[in-house]
Amino acid sequence: SGAKPISHSQITRLYSRFTSLDKGENGTLSREDFQRIPELAINPLGDRIINAFFSEGEDQVNFRGFMRTLAHFRPIEDNEKSKDQNGPEPLNSRSNKLHFAFRLYDLDKDDKISRDELLQVLRMMVGVNISDEQLGSIADRTIQEADQDGDCAISFAEFVKVLEKVDVEQKMSIRFLH
Amino acid sequence: MQWTSLGLMERQRAGSKGTTTVLAVLLSSFLQAAGVGALHGSPVAENGSWAAEEAQGNASMEHTFFSLDYQHVQVPFEITLWIMLASLAKIAFHLYNKLPSVVPESCLLIFVGLIMGGIIYGLNDKSPPVMDSDIFFLYLLPPIVLDAGYFMPSRPFFENIGTILLYAVVGTIWNVFGIGFSLYGICQVRAFGLRDVSLLHNLLFGSLIAAVDPVAVLAVFEEIHVNEKLHILVFGESLLNDAVTVVLYKLFRSFCEMPAIKTVDVFAGVGKFFVVGIGGVLVGLTFGMTSAFTTRFTKDIRVIEPLFVFLYSYLSYLTAEMFHLSGIVAIIACAMGMKRYVEANISLKSHTTVKYFMKMWSSVSDTLIFIFLGVSTIGENHEWNWPYIFFTVIFCLVWRALGVLVLTFFVNRFHVNTVTSKDQFIIAYGGLRGAICFSLVFLLPDFRRKKLFIAATTVVILFTVFAQGMTIRPLVDLLHVKRKRESAPTVGEQIHIRFLDHLLAGIEDISGHWGQYYWKDKLEYFNSKYLQKFLLREYDQPKSSIVLLYEKLERKHAIELAEAGQLGHAPSHPSLLNSDRTVITEKKSEDALCPDGLEDIQEILARNLYRIRRTGPAYSRHTLPGETEPVEQAQEILILQRRSLRLDASGSDGISPRKEKEGSSLARGDSDVQPRLCRSLTVEDAEKVRAVKQNRSQSVCVIPARSKQEGAGKEMASDM
Repeated sequence: SGAKPISHSQITRLYSRFTSLDKGENGTLSREDFQRIPELAINPLGDRIINAFFSEGEDQVNFRGFMRTLAHFRPIEDNEKSKDQNGPEPLNSRSNKLHFAFRLYDLDKDDKISRDELLQVLRMMVGVNISDEQLGSIADRTIQEADQDGDCAISFAEFVKVLEKVDVEQKMSIRFLH
Repeated sequence: MQWTSLGLMERQRAGSKGTTTVLAVLLSSFLQAAGVGALHGSPVAENGSWAAEEAQGNASMEHTFFSLDYQHVQVPFEITLWIMLASLAKIAFHLYNKLPSVVPESCLLIFVGLIMGGIIYGLNDKSPPVMDSDIFFLYLLPPIVLDAGYFMPSRPFFENIGTILLYAVVGTIWNVFGIGFSLYGICQVRAFGLRDVSLLHNLLFGSLIAAVDPVAVLAVFEEIHVNEKLHILVFGESLLNDAVTVVLYKLFRSFCEMPAIKTVDVFAGVGKFFVVGIGGVLVGLTFGMTSAFTTRFTKDIRVIEPLFVFLYSYLSYLTAEMFHLSGIVAIIACAMGMKRYVEANISLKSHTTVKYFMKMWSSVSDTLIFIFLGVSTIGENHEWNWPYIFFTVIFCLVWRALGVLVLTFFVNRFHVNTVTSKDQFIIAYGGLRGAICFSLVFLLPDFRRKKLFIAATTVVILFTVFAQGMTIRPLVDLLHVKRKRESAPTVGEQIHIRFLDHLLAGIEDISGHWGQYYWKDKLEYFNSKYLQKFLLREYDQPKSSIVLLYEKLERKHAIELAEAGQLGHAPSHPSLLNSDRTVITEKKSEDALCPDGLEDIQEILARNLYRIRRTGPAYSRHTLPGETEPVEQAQEILILQRRSLRLDASGSDGISPRKEKEGSSLARGDSDVQPRLCRSLTVEDAEKVRAVKQNRSQSVCVIPARSKQEGAGKEMASDM
């Protein structure tokens, strides 16, 4: 779903990538197939990114699901911004991109990033020389800056507000997926 | 490059004694001043009759207890002194902390060379001898290129190979003809008095001045930290344009001597280019494979393993030169081809030795080249026709900029990873000329205007190295700074931004954003089916380099543990140990939420957040790969993930007992580990792996199961 369909050559390219990852050749990818990508192994968020491809409770993802997830990262075309507001919002809109990122933080899916969830992500992203106390104070600070309704957690709206000055479109787009 | 054969013919004219005479002069002057021995104070004659005089002088003395027999040790002594001078100069530069950041090392070295040249000129009243082209091409250049090729990060190189080749081949041709023709146009202007410089001569000059020099590029780009892709583009281009330079130089040179030029000659030139380039690659690969095969059998004589690496690489260079192919391309192909297999076959210590020696030799060569450049600049070899020189410099800059612009336009149309305009500027500005041009110009046949060319080359090199080399860093900073002028991001922003960056990097890796996977897969298939069996000693136990990396890490950690004797003192290992915490708790508990803590937090984040991959160059002149931050970061992440996986699997009851068990089992030696390791690699089901958790070796293979390899793993670690 999106205002401008993805081009044929890009689909072919993604499909060949899909098949090259699919070592079992059964038309779906499992978590192991993703984990085989070496750069992902040393990406701090590797596991979470992989999980984002799989729907709830599923262990395999087919090509459609693969593309659907990747579609979040298409660049936002300028003319799309003024497209019809009535239709469903395309997957690669700013809001949906941010929602994708938000879901990576929010593991228990309660639409809030709690202090614990934030701590988990921080621990993954930060070197080994930081103590838990320091990390805790960083997390507290982050929540304090973002929190507007006083619930000591970051809701989606607050998350969006924190990132309002950031060029999310550029930070969450892969150029060739257009 | 097959300059060496030409060099031999030019030997006498080029001041053949070269370095030796230089130092002889110096030494004699100093010894005079010190009043040592019985040397006469006569000036040094050209053909080294000084040696004869000295012998006479000695013969006429009575027996003394101390006598000087310089002639006996002259050559090695002087060579060693030059190398010593080079190294001491390097130390001196690094003593001043600020200096290398303002002025790149290459400039300082040329400056030292200039001073030395000036001294020699002053003492001797005659031009100091010019750096011998033979010494340069046979001894000084190969170590640098070998070092570059061996540590070349192959993945970015091959990902961008199309762009690199485009810049190297088409760009160089564009530059050659552009500079040649425009200089010819300048020569037509009557006022400059250059009408006798023919088109062919101008083209010949263009062919040697147009090529970007890898030594200079390396030296300068070391200091400025550009992103990996940019680094590899400029650097790869500077290495590969050798093939084009060779063909064009030889072509124009032979045209100069031919009475008439037919079109078939031009086509022959084009054909030659392919022969030179592809032939160089083939020669290199042959030697590389042979070297890998040889190391398969060196299990019992580990001490000479490093030697093979160097011998085969040097042989490939010399063989390519012998056949008039491109030696630089050959040695690079050899190094890149053999690296994977050799590293699997040789021992850890040999591996370290190879790395260290390569860095050492390339460093020495590099320093010597720049010093000699400086020395050779002084003297009476130049004809200073300022308009010509001025226009040469201008045209070099202009044509390079145009070439980069036009080529990048095409590259961006067909490629997904675009070269931004800032990158383009750096590529254009970073096209430095260096010692290769210098040596080539001295190899030119003697004709009336040769000195003009020498002068122009000298000025261009000095200009690029000094002016461009010194200003490129501030310019890069200036271009970067523009983005940072907004207000400092808040803590939350910083974290989320970094989060998004990691996310994007991961998605890019998944979507295979980079490069053509079809050929890579084919190559990997070929590799695993045929090459590995032939070239690796233990092909039936293929270890991915993640596993190798992990083993090395574990070994190192185990040694540390054993030395420390106790867990609590293990240096900076994953902070899940309780011991660190207590100290920090007292200090930081007050700052939890007060605003003063903000600066601390910013600082902590800046220092400790994991970097996104690909922000820094994987290749660096001064540090060994494996000792840079990205690798340590990767190791930490791997450990943390492994630990968390094991914690999930076993339900943690403290890390400590498990760690000690590992340490002791490791201390027992590798041989136990390996057979178990190979078996575990065939385990495919993650569940099965997790179930068998007590056995230490199988917990290692959690990693390979998580990221199973086939060469892709090797690629990653070799890039790290």
